[in-house]
This record gives sequence, structure tokens and C-alpha cells, in this order.
Amino acid sequence: MDKKTIKIVCFAGLQKYFGAETSVAVEPEATYSDVVTELVTANPEAEEVLNSCRIAVKEEFVSLSDKLESVDTLFLIPPSSGG
Amino acid sequence: MKHLQHTDINYSELFDEFRHPNSGAVVLFSGEVRDNNKGREVTHLEYEAYEPMANKMIAGILEEAKSRFKLNQAACVHRLGKVEISGCAVVVITGAGHRKEAYDANRYIIDRVKNDVPIWKHEFFTDGTSEWGQNCDCMTDANETGHKHHHHEEA
Repeated sequence: MDKKTIKIVCFAGLQKYFGAETSVAVEPEATYSDVVTELVTANPEAEEVLNSCRIAVKEEFVSLSDKLESVDTLFLIPPSSGG
Repeated sequence: MKHLQHTDINYSELFDEFRHPNSGAVVLFSGEVRDNNKGREVTHLEYEAYEPMANKMIAGILEEAKSRFKLNQAACVHRLGKVEISGCAVVVITGAGHRKEAYDANRYIIDRVKNDVPIWKHEFFTDGTSEWGQNCDCMTDANETGHKHHHHEEA
């Protein structure tokens, strides 16, 4: 089956590597972890920060091991630094 | 209640709203912008958030704290955008029957907000450089997403 394109919204320090939005193409059965792997491939310099990020979908955190299924947009959340 | 704002936080007004006949103790914490960090001179900060999620998460943290510490009231407002030195970046107000609950809850709320909520601090220095803050203390292992915990100095 054809790969599907996932839109990724980036925040804070991540924008230095990917801008405010980017996208990757993944297999239909891909997990969130596969998305991160694609991003590391696209920009190896971002590996450290990518490995410290959480992923949110519809304003809830998801597990890296979950499959994307019908999700087409995700939010990449670097470590919080409010306060 | 909206927990994020792009304008100055008037914590005196917020505090005045926190009168309650059963609150013998009301604690107000104001997180303010220092003129230095790790030996470097700071000119100002800028805060960014994933706003809908941050607002929802702060509301959830306040509800949890109210129940856990038996609070009469709890509020938290965080600034976004540019905040000057000595400006208020975040305020937490807690009201309880007695001071222990009010203090403990206040600390709990600010720690959760700093560690968990998608808000990011961009520090600007006098030498013209800038840096994104990474002071996630991660006091709780709140997720299983592979989020590697960083241990940084408390702001």
C-alpha cells in the first residue's frame, strides 16, 4: 500500500530544525515511533531533541508504540520549560 | 477560566477574587523573570505554548489539586509572549482552611505546570544570543511515550 503523509506541528526549539510545520510519509501501519525515526532521518542534528519530545494528538499525549491509524496530524512537544 | 494570557498578569486583582469564608490561608506564588540565569545576563524572556492543550492541562491540574488538598480555591495564570525583567511569568493562588494545604497545593501546582504543561521559555541574553529553556525536572513519570527525563536546574 502507498505511504500516507502525516502533518507535524512543531514548537519552540524544534522549529529551528523543521519550521512550524513539516510532514513525513510513513507506511499505513506505522507507529508514532516510526514518525520520529523519519524525522531523525530527515534531520539527524535534531535527534537529541526529538528523543526528548512527547507527541500529542487532539490535545492528549499518545504512546510512541501506538499505531497512527486514522491520525493525520500530530503535535511534537519538546520538554516543558514554563514558569 | 483562561489560564494563558499575552498581557501583564495583575495578581493583586486575582488575589482579591480569592476571598472565601472557609479560607484561613491563601497563598500566592508569583514566578518572576530574573536578570540572570546560569551566570549569564538575561534581557527578557518570551513564552510560547501549545495553547489549547496547555489551557486544558492547567485546568485539569487545578481540579486535581483542589480535590487532593481540599482547597476552596485554586487559580493559575501563565504569561505568553515577551516578559520583561521582574515581570510576572506565572501566578498560582491557593486557598484552604489552613496554611499547610494552601502551601503544599501551591507548590504541587507550580511544579506540575513547569514540568508537564506544553509551555516553553525562550531566554534572551545581553550578548545578543538566545536559548530555549530546558528545565524539565520531571517530578512525575506522567507518560510512557519515551519522553527522556532531563534534569536541569530549577528556574
